[in-house]
Amino acid sequence: MASCNGSKSLKDAMNEALRDWVTNVQDTFYIIGTAAGPHPYPSMVRDFQSVIGKEVRSQIIAQENKLPDLLIACIGGGSNALGLFHDFLDDKEIKMLAVEAAGLGLSSGKHAASLSGGKPGVLHGNKTYLLQNQDGQIEEAHSISAGLDYPGIGPEHSFLFEQKRVKYESATDEEALEAFQYCCKTEGIIPALEPAHALAALIKIAPKMSKEEIIVMNMCGRGDKDIFTVADALKIKI
Amino acid sequence: MSSRIKKIFEDNSKKLVTFVTGGDPDYITSKEILDKIIEKGADVIEIGMPFSDPMADGPTIQLASKRAINKGTNLETIFKICNHIREKDLSIPIVLMGYYNVILHYGIKNFVDKINSIGVDGLIIVDLQPEEDQELYDNLKSKNIDLIRLITPNTNSKRLSTITNQASGFLYYVTITGITGQKSANIQELKKIIPNIREYSKLPIIAGFGIKDKNDVSEICKTADGAVIGSSIVKIIENNLNNKEKMMNEVSSFIEELKKGIE
Repeated sequence: MASCNGSKSLKDAMNEALRDWVTNVQDTFYIIGTAAGPHPYPSMVRDFQSVIGKEVRSQIIAQENKLPDLLIACIGGGSNALGLFHDFLDDKEIKMLAVEAAGLGLSSGKHAASLSGGKPGVLHGNKTYLLQNQDGQIEEAHSISAGLDYPGIGPEHSFLFEQKRVKYESATDEEALEAFQYCCKTEGIIPALEPAHALAALIKIAPKMSKEEIIVMNMCGRGDKDIFTVADALKIKI
Repeated sequence: MSSRIKKIFEDNSKKLVTFVTGGDPDYITSKEILDKIIEKGADVIEIGMPFSDPMADGPTIQLASKRAINKGTNLETIFKICNHIREKDLSIPIVLMGYYNVILHYGIKNFVDKINSIGVDGLIIVDLQPEEDQELYDNLKSKNIDLIRLITPNTNSKRLSTITNQASGFLYYVTITGITGQKSANIQELKKIIPNIREYSKLPIIAGFGIKDKNDVSEICKTADGAVIGSSIVKIIENNLNNKEKMMNEVSSFIEELKKGIE
């Protein structure tokens, strides 16, 4: 669905997709790639994505014979994070950290951190934390990562946030760019800019933990799609 | 039920319902447009509360919302516009239409108290389904303000019971599957569906979406109790942003023309 209106952001694309769906509902399915939107989509997407956590569980037990101590994932709408976390939610001893996009910084007003900087509201058929102004108008999100550039978050994350089951932090564009480069240099892996936010948190937290503890971070996308964005941000001509 | 809405439907004649976005193209002009619409004989007026993400609206009303928001329109502006109308006209039903977040953010109780004090008669919330509207419904009911519910060509009989269960004022039949100002009303389908809706509810049924001109209004009012015309009026505003006099004249003659369609 091409977004012709508004700021051509993910939010506008979702508006257009919903408009198209109600218009062509007789012969069209609505499909969404994140755990947000009208019921039952958030739970459907969560269930599909939950294979991530199930595989993590079986693989980590096979390799380490114990469960991880900390799970980390980036979060825009929140599908990869929910996919990783879901199977472990009842394992109370496992800590979870989700990393929102802080864009140019939470105080700049140009970010996509709905939980850190938003309030509960209703948009696109779900009640959840949203970036909105004093009149309840939805604000544009900003992130260097297109996949995190949305002014809302899946409703189950709003629930886990209020329950304090998952800890929600944020990483700026700059921190994500640094983590992107660090990962390329040290691991030989080009991460997508989305998980680069999770990497930024990982880089901060890992040195504070013991070597015996296990962290699983979801590398939820590859960064070849992002090389032009990164080059542009680093002012490198390619 | 709002006494003004109840009263207007008592005589069983067909009703012309108009929609414009409040604060479009600006606060002053918006009041003048509404004055003109009422002067020319609209029976019920719907005023859109602009929202940044009007998912049920086509480009015409999307642009109107944007124009209004860019001019600083918020709920306080909408209340002032309603107040202005009510000071001049004690009998015309005023219905506010919009999206839930703006109201939720303002506070449901505050919002209902405010619209009650101004003399608003009904509320249509496009993105709030009956399963989630109890708090709003209870607050509105205590003030005799109608929560007007939407029915579409896709609404099955089970759903129809849910929707009509706590409906009041009138029912709003959406004539198409789709958004405002795009497809033309499906009149054949409307003729089949409206008698079926009447099996479930004795409330008047007003049809909206895709109703563009006098002929549409006339055809639809053979079955429905009235027709809503929105995007076609908003389009006149959009086409005459630089010429207010022409805008007012065209709105006037358009409403006069539509009135002929229901007579």
